[in-house]
Amino acid sequence: MSKHSALNTFGRSGNPAFTRNFDNTGALPQTERMTLDGAVNKTAILLSLCFAGAFIGWNIPSLAMPSLIIGTILAFVTIFRNPAKAGTTAPFYAGFEGVALGGITVFAEAQYPGIGIQAIGLTFGILASLLFCYKSGIIKPTENFRLMIFSATMGIALLYLVSFIMSFFGSGIGFIHSNGLFGIGFSLFVVGIAALNLVLDFDFIEEGADQGLPKYMEWYGAFSLMVTLIWLYIEILRLLMKLRSR
Amino acid sequence: MNAIFFSILAIFSLFVFMNLGKIKASKKQMDRDDRIKWGNRRRTSFFKNKTTIVEGKAEEVKDDDKDK
Repeated sequence: MSKHSALNTFGRSGNPAFTRNFDNTGALPQTERMTLDGAVNKTAILLSLCFAGAFIGWNIPSLAMPSLIIGTILAFVTIFRNPAKAGTTAPFYAGFEGVALGGITVFAEAQYPGIGIQAIGLTFGILASLLFCYKSGIIKPTENFRLMIFSATMGIALLYLVSFIMSFFGSGIGFIHSNGLFGIGFSLFVVGIAALNLVLDFDFIEEGADQGLPKYMEWYGAFSLMVTLIWLYIEILRLLMKLRSR
Repeated sequence: MNAIFFSILAIFSLFVFMNLGKIKASKKQMDRDDRIKWGNRRRTSFFKNKTTIVEGKAEEVKDDDKDK
């Protein structure tokens, strides 16, 4: 048994979109294989769709909640049902999540003007700087790194789930939403974990292109990156709202 | 002013992502022994823990037999 028994057992990364189908199909012709160019171009397509959706959400904020639910269902379908169909589901996911983000941003902008562009700038700034750190080898993801990020991500997800369930009973975990030092510290931690998930995304795409995985994995890699970017944007927005409310 | 700064940051970062993303990672990153093995499948560890049953007649093996 390897020393990374938890990873061997669950086979998961920090990003839940990386659960399945990393098979090396060496017999594929060159044109059928995943490339870095393809993954980056597909990420650009998904980002464009997300911005188009955000434009709709910005103008019709009431669509935010239904879009968030549909987007979440599409994400689960892509991850757990059929990753090979990511080329079909991922664009819809990006569009619906964009509408949701547009609505959420309108709500935040109404309280704190200018917060939306700050969150967008910081999200893409983190994306570019971590990509540089990854490509240059400054950050080197290892199995231990993956295990650490996975554990932290699952811990945060569990905490949010418990808080969500408790909210139905008129209760909740106060500190994660508070604008006190502890609340801001928690948000900083979550932003850090979301950002480090990007490194796992980069490594997944790089390794996939290196091993020549099937072409549809370009969409899957781009989708994984979108999942992380959307999470990062929401967490940065929450952090900025906490800071501005003090 | 604030909005202009963050808009420029976003556009510049996207430009960096689009260009840097298409370049292969450095050798320092790729040629490592401790890289993440994304190909690890979860079922392999389950199979490792299963007992292997070999059909056939069971015979008792004594340590004394090895000496003969």
